[in-house]
Amino acid sequence: MRVKLKDIEFSSPILTASGTYGYGHEVRDMADVNQWGGIITKSVTRHPREGNPPPRIAETRSGMINSIGLANLGVEKYCNEIIPSLNELQTKVIINIAGSAMKDYLETMEMLESKNGKHVGYEINISCPNVKEGGIEFGVNCEMTEQLTIEMRKRTDKLLIMKLSPNVTRIEDIAQAAESGGADAVSAINTVVGMAIDVKTRRPKLNTAFGGLSGPAIKPIAIANVHKVFKAVNIPIIGIGGIATAKDVVEFLLAGATMVQIGTMNYQNPNLGIQLKGELSEYYSQNEIEKTEDLIGKVEYHSN
Amino acid sequence: MIYREMGKVISNEEIAEGIYKTVFISPNISSSSMPGQFVNILPSLDWRNVMRRPMSIASQGNDEISIIYKSVGEGTRIMANWAIGEKVDLIGPLGNYWEGYKSSFPIIVGGGVGIAPILNLHDVLLEKKIDHCLIMGARHSGEHFFPHEPQNKVFLSTDDGSLGIKGNVVDILKSIYPIGKHSQNTKIFSCGPPMMMDEVRNYSNENKLDCDLALETIMACGFGICQGCTVERKAETNGVHSYRNRFALACLDGPIFNAEEIISCV
Repeated sequence: MRVKLKDIEFSSPILTASGTYGYGHEVRDMADVNQWGGIITKSVTRHPREGNPPPRIAETRSGMINSIGLANLGVEKYCNEIIPSLNELQTKVIINIAGSAMKDYLETMEMLESKNGKHVGYEINISCPNVKEGGIEFGVNCEMTEQLTIEMRKRTDKLLIMKLSPNVTRIEDIAQAAESGGADAVSAINTVVGMAIDVKTRRPKLNTAFGGLSGPAIKPIAIANVHKVFKAVNIPIIGIGGIATAKDVVEFLLAGATMVQIGTMNYQNPNLGIQLKGELSEYYSQNEIEKTEDLIGKVEYHSN
Repeated sequence: MIYREMGKVISNEEIAEGIYKTVFISPNISSSSMPGQFVNILPSLDWRNVMRRPMSIASQGNDEISIIYKSVGEGTRIMANWAIGEKVDLIGPLGNYWEGYKSSFPIIVGGGVGIAPILNLHDVLLEKKIDHCLIMGARHSGEHFFPHEPQNKVFLSTDDGSLGIKGNVVDILKSIYPIGKHSQNTKIFSCGPPMMMDEVRNYSNENKLDCDLALETIMACGFGICQGCTVERKAETNGVHSYRNRFALACLDGPIFNAEEIISCV
């Protein structure tokens, strides 16, 4: 079950997706947070953000759309109030950073780097579909992705993971840009642009009209994107999108993911990642799989 | 402490037209919940959608909790069909609770889907022998499940006049408490459809009465991580977390808000 990204060893390949598990301590009554392979925290930005007006979420078939708008307390308060509690976690912590301009991303990282936190890395959100400032301008542009990756790489020796958007023409090009910029890994996918309308009132179900679709509804899209990226880059991929069962995890591994993140289903079952760790280990022993590497990218195409 | 507990259904009955009451054995949630709090429910173990269904707790004690709900959608239809003995995945108790009723004359006002937290408060007030007034609204008599007893300060309204007083809950308020006739320590506690609560809020405002409202919002997790259950507060409200001053979360900062604190009940 153990898996390595660069020189960091994780106790399981299962991580929390950013924005779906707070900072870990919110769920401590219901789950042994330290049993996760790692926690990826909710996006932090250079300045505090109050987020988007309600309604921010809507349920759709086997999924939900959200437009939270990166509500967070900003990196200064984050350093003082959040990092100390993250340091108490026994599992690996990866801090997710979002921004709008290069300067914001870099200042945020510099402030976090100066803090001597126990976190092992950063996941860079260049793919939030819900705010202009969510970095999506970076995430749809190869040169900007590469430049941002280069600049962030200069500022940290910790793990550097770029989080990719599916809302692009060719995700593999963006992934290659992250790779040549020096990223240690990419994570894919962020949410898929979606919209839902209340037919009675004719109003969009979200205040911002468009939002990000997540949950089991997007799993096939995520699998396809992970596999495209797998064929295009040599760095590890962290697969995200609608994972609800151990079989889903295996599917992501076969498509090319080295690790996975669980997102939307945490809301329903905050213990899911821990439960799936057990089920995955059973799957490994039943199918005589010695290590996670034996599954990564091992999808077998039809031969005809 | 938040518990995730498999509640065992010990009764599940239609108590009025389309309105169901389920009683669970759920010792941890029962012993730690306060009137006004809620549980977030997984309608079934093979639930194909992603969100649980938040439901106010209607009563707690003796290892039991109950909920009261209208069967209106996919989730509540499954719930209405829960069999006796079925185990249901519950998370709770969540949210804040009714406060300030001990030192006041509470007028408690419920309607539609907002019956549960109001009945819960009613029971607590009876138990603590706190003099109060209960007003409950419905569209017609079939939706009520206890009698209109003005002598005991229990007033029912129906839109069609088929039971109790014809009109809505605010019509009752106006008829029994004409403007200016409230005792000084009157406090209103209300839960119901957004339109109803907005009217109750206006009434409290006109009569300069303190008023707490239990709001219903769309919600995914119930414990502060999805940040979807937003309620807009007046900007000057001081919260603990700066980024939640304006957009508060119903699951952590509510579901009960002071009427003065929020922009609207919708």
